[in-house]
Amino acid sequence: MFKNIVCFCLAFGACLQLLAQTKVSALDEESNIYHRVFDAPLTESVSGQKGFLSQQYERKPLILALVYTRCTGICSPFLLQLKDDILFNLRDSSFRVVVLSFDPRDSKADMNSLQKRFGLEGNSQWLFATTDSIRSLNTSIGFAPVWDSLRKQYNHEALLVGINSGGYITKKLIGMRSSHDLEKMVTSIHNVFSPSYRLPGSSTLFSCFNYDPKSGRSTPGLGLLFVGLPAGLALLIVILLRLMVRKQTPAVPDK
Amino acid sequence: MESQGMKKITSVWIITILMLFVVSIVLGILMRLNQGGVIQEQTLTFYSNLTTHGLTMIGIWFVAGMMAVNYLMQRYVRTSFAVNLTALIFTVIGVLLLWLSTFAGKFNAAWTFLYPLPFKDFGASSWATTLFLISLAVFGIGWFIWCISLMANILKKYSLAEAFAWQHLRKEHKTDTPPFILITTVTLIGIITCLIAAVIIIVLFFAEMLSQGRFVNDALLMKNLTYFFGHTIANEMLYLGLAVIYELFAEVSGRPKWKTTWYVSLAWNCSLVFILTAFFHHLYMDFVQPEGLQIVGQLASYLASLPAAGVTVFSVFIAVYRTKIKWSLTNVLFFMGIAGWVIGGLGAVIDATITNNVVLHNTLWVPAHFHTYNAMGNVLFSLAFFYWFSTQSLENIRLSTAAKGLLVTLLIGGIGFLLAFYIGGSDSVPRRYSNYPASLKEAKPLALMGASFAIVYLIAILSFFYNISRRCLKILFASA
Ligand code: HEM
Repeated sequence: MFKNIVCFCLAFGACLQLLAQTKVSALDEESNIYHRVFDAPLTESVSGQKGFLSQQYERKPLILALVYTRCTGICSPFLLQLKDDILFNLRDSSFRVVVLSFDPRDSKADMNSLQKRFGLEGNSQWLFATTDSIRSLNTSIGFAPVWDSLRKQYNHEALLVGINSGGYITKKLIGMRSSHDLEKMVTSIHNVFSPSYRLPGSSTLFSCFNYDPKSGRSTPGLGLLFVGLPAGLALLIVILLRLMVRKQTPAVPDK
Repeated sequence: MESQGMKKITSVWIITILMLFVVSIVLGILMRLNQGGVIQEQTLTFYSNLTTHGLTMIGIWFVAGMMAVNYLMQRYVRTSFAVNLTALIFTVIGVLLLWLSTFAGKFNAAWTFLYPLPFKDFGASSWATTLFLISLAVFGIGWFIWCISLMANILKKYSLAEAFAWQHLRKEHKTDTPPFILITTVTLIGIITCLIAAVIIIVLFFAEMLSQGRFVNDALLMKNLTYFFGHTIANEMLYLGLAVIYELFAEVSGRPKWKTTWYVSLAWNCSLVFILTAFFHHLYMDFVQPEGLQIVGQLASYLASLPAAGVTVFSVFIAVYRTKIKWSLTNVLFFMGIAGWVIGGLGAVIDATITNNVVLHNTLWVPAHFHTYNAMGNVLFSLAFFYWFSTQSLENIRLSTAAKGLLVTLLIGGIGFLLAFYIGGSDSVPRRYSNYPASLKEAKPLALMGASFAIVYLIAILSFFYNISRRCLKILFASA
């Protein structure tokens, strides 16, 4: 019987091991942080001039945005919001923005017309470019667009990568984010410590504190119960133990 | 009285602990040599060695305290041989699984395995995190059963109030609670508490791993729980050593046995409460933790250490001051250990003060203070017990010249090794760096200094290992 229980537990454990995933998707924004970005060769969309990413970040820290011109989804609103935030909210010229196509089909001319569409052609802070080494760049920044042959579109995240003047990735932002987050990215590419904390989403069930961004106040959350639980349980166990063993006589007399 | 079976299993524990200790010291020396630039370990190897070293050390000195307490507890109550054996088996299996996860799987998230590090891909095998968590669960189950069993044994004879020595707070009382029972009770409850915290962490880790992204943990909750477990167990294992001192110091010194007084009772009851809240000082840098809890952390850090240290130092001082003491290796080791504990404790309290923590946080000051009360504190408490245990049947063990030489070697090695950490810490050299950047000029020479003195410390430990294990083997193979 005992043997069966042990075997069952081992088999159950092995099954759990198969199910377990040790890499968690919620941590995508934290992947590749402080890694060096791949020094990709770039072709500028306006002048057709060739160069390297390092020539850009060595001059000024960079914000790298990954888009493709045939995107019918997130790329346009994403770029529009980025433009608005940088031109009208941040008004900070201490960094450059490189908008890079990750679609090998995009030509210099495609990127040039995208730049024109967004009215950024004459803006020296912005550089639209293509590269022939997108795979290596994607690996170095942890970006993995997936081609959907039915829709003829990429499934991809709207990704911004902050790169400091040493070529290190200091912060990543996934999705359409507030200008406050963008400010944090700008401070990080200037090597200023920026406190960051993963915001609890709907899948975070046990937060210690629930933060209300409107009032800026934290209220105790369900997770706090878990911090108090061990002491409460231990006390209960000790009291129960005493009740269970009380009736028995001492095994060894007093010394 | 101590049974023959208990003597044999205690011998096995001692030999196992000392063997694992030697391996872990070698890993520590390799880390220091790597930081000094003498050898070049791969970064992944450095961090998996750091993890193995940290957790093995915490594990072995915890069980060293437990088995010593278990052995001495037989003087008051009967304890279970079967449970002791179960704990030994679980500990050995746990160590094997842990080492498999770190040496073969390259698990590298340090002994605190702070969330979300175990989920980050730094090159470890995909199964390493799961195996690491399983190894923790195995330790946890074995140790939990052990603690519950010892607690039940105490409560068979003493009521809860007696076990906590509350009657000593009144002037008149009919029964006496030996200090050993009081400290053991307080400590076991603390350990049970932090093992429950460990269970919650492991469950939460597995929940996230198995939910395929549907359940995500709150980083702050995980950090609170991790330090609830880690900080508390690291401190409770020192208390186990203190329980042994309260039981043996006077006895081996030829002095009357220590008794529980009102202040001993009060101090240890306070320690129970404060030690469970002191872990908040690990979260000073977490800006999302409310300020109130940070203040609780600082206050509890002071209050947890001062009463217990105060009464212990006072008791030892009274025992040795202007009295003729029968000095042997056992009580000298206890004495040196208390000095190490107090000095390390002061280092800890300095670091736990919020204004200082801003400067010292995550610098080598941290390993400096915890190595002081471990390598030159708790380890010496346990070595004293090991030595006393292995020489119990031998009459008149006195401090020989060889023993004095051994103690001096241990002191020189230990102090030099620790000094390198302290100087580095006060110079803001960060902890847990596998290689130091060139800008930290003094870091490499200090690491080399640390490694050299650690080798001297290791030589002393090897000598203890040889002498104690030889006698333990004799006990193990002696016929009943
Ligand atoms: C001479 C003996 C020892 C040597 C050479 C040694 C060496 C080291 C080194 C080099 C580190 C890494 C320091 C850093 O953060 O840069 C370390 C960490 C650590 N050591 Fe030791 N140590 C020794 C004894 C001990 C003892 C007796 C304990 C007992 C508990 C211990 C527990 C730890 C722990 C818990 C860590 C932290 C691991 C982590 O950061 O995850 N060590 N040790």
